[in-house]
Amino acid sequence: MTQQSYGIMAEFKSPEALMEAVRAAKRAGYTKLDAFSPFPLADLARELGVRTGMIPWIALVAGLVGAAIQYGSQYWMNAVDYPLNVGGRPLHSWPAYIPASLIVAILWAGAATLIGLLLILRLPRLHHPVFAFPGFERASEDRFFLCIMQDDPMFDSATVHAFFGALSPLAVQEVPACD
Amino acid sequence: MSSDAHAATSRVADVPLSPHFGWAWWLALLFAGGLVALLGYTLISVTIIGVGVWGVNIPYVWGFDLINYAWWIGIANGASLFAAILVLRRHDLRTAVNRFAEGVALFAVICAGIFPIFHLGRPWLFYWTFPYPATFEVWPQFRSTLTWDFWAISTHVIVTSLLWYVGLIPDLATLRDRARRPSVQRIYGVFALGWRGSVRHWAYHQRAYRLVAILVLPLILIMQSTVAFEFAVTLVPDWHETRQPLHFVATGLAQGLSIVLLVAVLLRWGLRLGRYIDEGDIDLLGKLVLASALVSGYLYIDEIAAALLSGGLARKATFTRMTGEYAGLYWTAIVYSILIPQLFWFRSARLSTVSGVFVGVSIGIGIWFDRFSIIVGGLQTDYLPSIGRSYSPTLPETGLFLGTVGLFVALLLLFVRFLPVISMFETRHDEHEEKSS
Repeated sequence: MTQQSYGIMAEFKSPEALMEAVRAAKRAGYTKLDAFSPFPLADLARELGVRTGMIPWIALVAGLVGAAIQYGSQYWMNAVDYPLNVGGRPLHSWPAYIPASLIVAILWAGAATLIGLLLILRLPRLHHPVFAFPGFERASEDRFFLCIMQDDPMFDSATVHAFFGALSPLAVQEVPACD
Repeated sequence: MSSDAHAATSRVADVPLSPHFGWAWWLALLFAGGLVALLGYTLISVTIIGVGVWGVNIPYVWGFDLINYAWWIGIANGASLFAAILVLRRHDLRTAVNRFAEGVALFAVICAGIFPIFHLGRPWLFYWTFPYPATFEVWPQFRSTLTWDFWAISTHVIVTSLLWYVGLIPDLATLRDRARRPSVQRIYGVFALGWRGSVRHWAYHQRAYRLVAILVLPLILIMQSTVAFEFAVTLVPDWHETRQPLHFVATGLAQGLSIVLLVAVLLRWGLRLGRYIDEGDIDLLGKLVLASALVSGYLYIDEIAAALLSGGLARKATFTRMTGEYAGLYWTAIVYSILIPQLFWFRSARLSTVSGVFVGVSIGIGIWFDRFSIIVGGLQTDYLPSIGRSYSPTLPETGLFLGTVGLFVALLLLFVRFLPVISMFETRHDEHEEKSS
């Protein structure tokens, strides 16, 4: 099926109104929702069932891998592949390998978390259907938007329009799909 | 009708978007640009002629290059540490100062990174510190503190710049949406990566940002300690002390805080951002600067105590530093970094722009003299009778130092001109929380 529409979006004036709308949409049985706001709304994210539990795992795993690679390479290079006797000091001087291992663990964890964040969010994506909504530029300033997506099993243009109409938003409009 | 939130952050967003910025900014940028040209000149001269143009020679192999490196790293680490603590504590102050505290850290670490690379003598071979399969099949010696430094600096640059940029993305989107000229819209649009403020995105963004901010905390402590280990692991009597990491971390924090205060006071005054960086913020920053100066003072006393408790040459080395040929450096450090900040016991001094600039600059100067005193003054006494030589910086070294100051100022000026200096989304969030509570 060719997608004619991305969904139907409504504009609200306050985060409270957006919260109300999300609760009402969930009560009405809609599941494919996306909300847009100019600042983080933790409660609303919880209401929409956003789970960010993956983030610390990315950091942990990347950090452990980074530390292991750093420690292992230091050991292999200085104790196995190119052993150099410096004043009779032990070749496997583990305390000397610790600072760089910790630092590189942080490098891996930090870089993986932030780059992973962009991958999870599928950014950069300069073009997106919601940008076509008139006045959407205020989503980065002082307006709040709720979109019921076209692929929602209960999606029906007329019912969604009626649903939003009951919430008295500032504007409601269909968001056309990109291509 | 324009709502509150709209007005709340427009002052911040107007700054980067205004087409004209006044002659003062151009004049400052011209001045800083001149110093950057000087930096280029001194770097080219040291590359072509070699480190012989510097005043360094045995036993003073570490002159301005290491003094300034340790100094810039102190600023970078102090500012980063402060920003990380604010995020961790979810302190209100973070809204006002986090963005430029991270900026200060990033610009300072860029300045710091120049010194060790050029101090190598053959800067074009700096990548030899990285373990790559070389033709000679020789690996770097990881039991040396100098290789730890390579990882520390590169990690600090990468993690701080990523963190700073990811934190900027939502604000870049605001600038994209507010910009009227299509060319400006396009530039901010590309850097905003198509941020659309989805609540799901916000949740991930906040979680990741906070987590990495916390990761910066141990990084800073390890990194600053690594700098200190470079001294502590040598056999030079004055340096060979376990207290060195603590000394560097604590004085570095004082220094970072003082530069953050300096920038805060100047931004408040220059961009008229009194509403975002309010009196309470400046007062709190002043108290933190005072507290960190007191901790530095405690560590100077600890230095004397450590010298008294140690025997023979180590004791003599520390006291030579305080009374010998280079005693002036030590006492200048005490006056500028410990005594002058005592002004901040007075509330009126904490709130005044003039005294904020005065104390901010003076701690910076004080810690610079402290590093000078440690690196040069600390080398006067050694186990081997050294050649009776003294160290004084040459003109190219001084030019190098002034050049990095110029680079720092230029980066700061460009940041102030083109990016929001205060986190706009955090400000909106805070105002919303205040309204609903």
